[in-house]
Amino acid sequence: MSERLERGLSKLRSQIDPKVKSFFSSCVHCGICAESCLFFTETRDPRYTPIYKTEPLRKVWQQEYTFWGKLASKLGIAAPIAEQDLADWEELVYDGCSMCGRCSMVCPMGIDIAQIIFKVKTGLSAAGFSPPDLAETTQRAVDIGSPMGVKLPALQAQIGHIEEEINLKIPVDVEGSEYMALLSSMEIMYFPEYISALAKIFHQAGVSWTLCSDAFEATNSGLQIGNTEVAGVLVERIVAGAEKLKVKNVISPECGHAYTAIRWEGPNFIGRPYSFKVVHILELLDELLQSGRLKTTGKESSRLTFHDPCSIVRRGGVETQPRHILNAIAENAVEMTEHGAMNWCCGGGGGVSGNERAEPLKLKVFNRKKSQLEELDVETIVTSCSNCRLVIEDGLEANDMEINIVGLTEMLADHLVVDNSQ
Amino acid sequence: MLKQNMVSPVGDILKFLSILMLLVITVISQPTFAAVEGEPEGVIMKNPGADLWREVRQRNIAIEGISQIKSVDSGILINPEADRWTRFRVDQLVNYAAIILAGLALLLLVFYLLRGKIKVEGGLSRQMLHRFSDYERVLHWTLAIVFLFLAITGLTLLLGRTFLIPLFGQEFFSLLASSSKEGHNLFGPIFFASLIMMILRFVKRNIYEKGDLTWLVKGGGIIGKSHVSGGFFNMGEKTWYWIVILIGLLISVSGLILVSPNFGQGRVIMELSHIVHVISAIILIAVSFGHMYLGSVGTEGALESMKTGYVDVNWAESHHDRWAKECRDNNRVISADKFNRLQGKINSGTEESGSVAVEGNK
Amino acid sequence: MATFIDGFLWYFALAVFVIGVSGNLVTIILASRKVDLSVPRDSAFSGALRTLFSRFLPDQHMLSRIGIQVVAGYMFHLGLFILLFFAAPHVAFLEENILGFGWTAAPHWLFIVASQFAFLGIIMLWLYRMTNSVSRLISKLDDHVATILTFLVMLSGCLALLESFETLRLLHRFLVELLLIYFPFSRLMHAFTFVPSRLFTGAWFGRRGVDS
Repeated sequence: MSERLERGLSKLRSQIDPKVKSFFSSCVHCGICAESCLFFTETRDPRYTPIYKTEPLRKVWQQEYTFWGKLASKLGIAAPIAEQDLADWEELVYDGCSMCGRCSMVCPMGIDIAQIIFKVKTGLSAAGFSPPDLAETTQRAVDIGSPMGVKLPALQAQIGHIEEEINLKIPVDVEGSEYMALLSSMEIMYFPEYISALAKIFHQAGVSWTLCSDAFEATNSGLQIGNTEVAGVLVERIVAGAEKLKVKNVISPECGHAYTAIRWEGPNFIGRPYSFKVVHILELLDELLQSGRLKTTGKESSRLTFHDPCSIVRRGGVETQPRHILNAIAENAVEMTEHGAMNWCCGGGGGVSGNERAEPLKLKVFNRKKSQLEELDVETIVTSCSNCRLVIEDGLEANDMEINIVGLTEMLADHLVVDNSQ
Repeated sequence: MLKQNMVSPVGDILKFLSILMLLVITVISQPTFAAVEGEPEGVIMKNPGADLWREVRQRNIAIEGISQIKSVDSGILINPEADRWTRFRVDQLVNYAAIILAGLALLLLVFYLLRGKIKVEGGLSRQMLHRFSDYERVLHWTLAIVFLFLAITGLTLLLGRTFLIPLFGQEFFSLLASSSKEGHNLFGPIFFASLIMMILRFVKRNIYEKGDLTWLVKGGGIIGKSHVSGGFFNMGEKTWYWIVILIGLLISVSGLILVSPNFGQGRVIMELSHIVHVISAIILIAVSFGHMYLGSVGTEGALESMKTGYVDVNWAESHHDRWAKECRDNNRVISADKFNRLQGKINSGTEESGSVAVEGNK
Repeated sequence: MATFIDGFLWYFALAVFVIGVSGNLVTIILASRKVDLSVPRDSAFSGALRTLFSRFLPDQHMLSRIGIQVVAGYMFHLGLFILLFFAAPHVAFLEENILGFGWTAAPHWLFIVASQFAFLGIIMLWLYRMTNSVSRLISKLDDHVATILTFLVMLSGCLALLESFETLRLLHRFLVELLLIYFPFSRLMHAFTFVPSRLFTGAWFGRRGVDS
């Protein structure tokens, strides 16, 4: 047995807990999950069936934890798991799954398939079967602190531009602030309007906030590739930054998987609870609006819809907040037929968008979003995840669709009551 | 257990009594029949009971008397129709059914040896067309399984006494017959339900249309080698469909009458239903032999449509040219590669992932 | 033979079933699990309870594409439930041999209708497993063995309906014993493990504030 296979198998073995046993022993192979997965519905390739993507872990469970499996292994009837078994699944798990978790919502047995697929990822990445692009970004995240290689000077330069443009100070490293905001590299590079929106909003609401020069990056490549050690290292940086600045709260940016990483999985990655609270930016904005600390004026009149980022809504529970905010600033918002916790993924989550070779597949499965949008005939899509936003932009362009796409936080910032005294 | 022990002696006694009664009746009525048919040779010994029984029987039709048991036909002491029915069943139904079915099976074997498998013109192209959905295939095989089960249990009941008792002996056959009867009664309504689903799903595509006659004239391509024209279903398939539906309904309705005798139907209706049931079932089983033959070993590429739902384009061209053309016009032909992917047969691995998606994107 | 099937094999099968199933469940329920260290948004308990019941209903938007599994699945499971617990011979058997108390059995016509639904359901489900490209790909030998065994148990039971042939009764009982022995080591365990699976997932979604 090769050393990499051994590494992968022992990682997979370590993933088998009572939950996994229950999940695998209750699966009746009905195939219902296939119809919930956009990689299946758009390709009709049965290999993209969610539960099929968990085969490597299922095989380990079957051979080492079930009676027949153990018997067959002892008698030498069952073929042991080979390196090829893991290699064959790399494409299915990394290119053919956006970790959107729709399958986990429809399984009649209640199996959280997305969670098992993540466990498979940990085994595959431990064995070195992960897309080269993701491996690179993960390395970059560990070495430089950002998957896209965005260093502090780049952020400082952006802050400089923004401060000049909006004439507001963007606080950095202010100790004792109430909130520490995190960003994703995508926001720094492609959507700096998010940073200016934060500045405007917090200025009006009188929120004491800061960025941290040691820990501004919220994305977590460790989560995407399935390396929990790396994920822990990256979360640890944020925790250190927050503790250094003695903040009470950390704000997760619009980015979807960052929210999962910092809000839900972070404490488990580092093995201890936080000394601060983590809120998603939309949760905070909703709270500020409800409490009257934010005042808005005017409403968007164009026909628009909200695209629910999977990690924030289905896997994160922030569903009502974006709708409250949108209703405060838009008068013609419509819902897609399947929305909220059952929304269809853009196709680029779980590291798919950062995986060059998955590009054609990603564009193909975008057809699902495309047909949802065509049904509504909207002028604008609002969302709250910079990754969704980029993926949808790509998809719209590839399909020659002329629809605007904006971030919800920026849209809110555009509707603030302007304070003239400043 | 306990219950059975208590019941069986009573049951045995009842059985014994009824057999005894049958014997008595047969023995007693024998001379009457002999007298009617008239046998000149031999001395006619007049049975002392004959007059009595002629009185009981009165005429050759059932006469309703008065009985304290209030139910259908309870006032009829003897149903003379039943004699004729029994005779018809034992002398004709059983024998003809066996001859027809065995003969047909032999005929098909001979045909296969002479004609062989009907090959697809131009060989298989490995380009595929989608023909039947999952539901349609599930429905087909459900009906097929239930039909086969009913055919086997039904034939056991019809022919078993003649053909199976010599093979297995009476004890085992009584067990087989009892379970066949229970199984047959239970599965009958399932056949009816499947048949209804079959009607709802396929009736539209099976209405005869222009062009079907050409198919008939050319003998469906089985006889001779000429090209025959067909739409989604060709004339032969449509005819099979209507045989299944119409005869199937006849079998179902007559079977339901037999299986639920508590809706006021009398003996005569039951006897009639039984005859209709058996004759139509034998016809359907006989024709189904042909269907099974043509659908499997008889025609290359035919079974594929019910296994995967896809058929080879060349197969479609030979048997359903109008449908094939329609599919071509609507760009519904898929490559062998794509077909294999749709069947989950390609282990693409990482290198091919790009091509998987690109191909599908077109 | 009869004494073996009614005696030793029956107790053996029962023991394998009870010990196997409870052993399986114990390793799932009582084994230690990692505690989730994140701060919950909502109650895990109410989430678990909600999901336990919500998954009885299919997603309405998917219904048209999973109709066979849902309709045939319900026909089979409801039918089997009635057969198993309300067939007159079963009620009498449970009362006399195991429980010591009984309940009203289903009338004969209901039994017949229920078994017809169950048969149609299991046949369609099994055929779907073999004809649909997805379920064909993900199904294992175990799925087929479990289906066939269940079918044979049902069939033998119904063939013995007349209750006048000892051999048929023994055949049915023998198949039931095979099923009981096979049960804990197979996919049939889903009859029990669907509960912890739904609870786990429901709790997970519940603490994140998602209705699942």
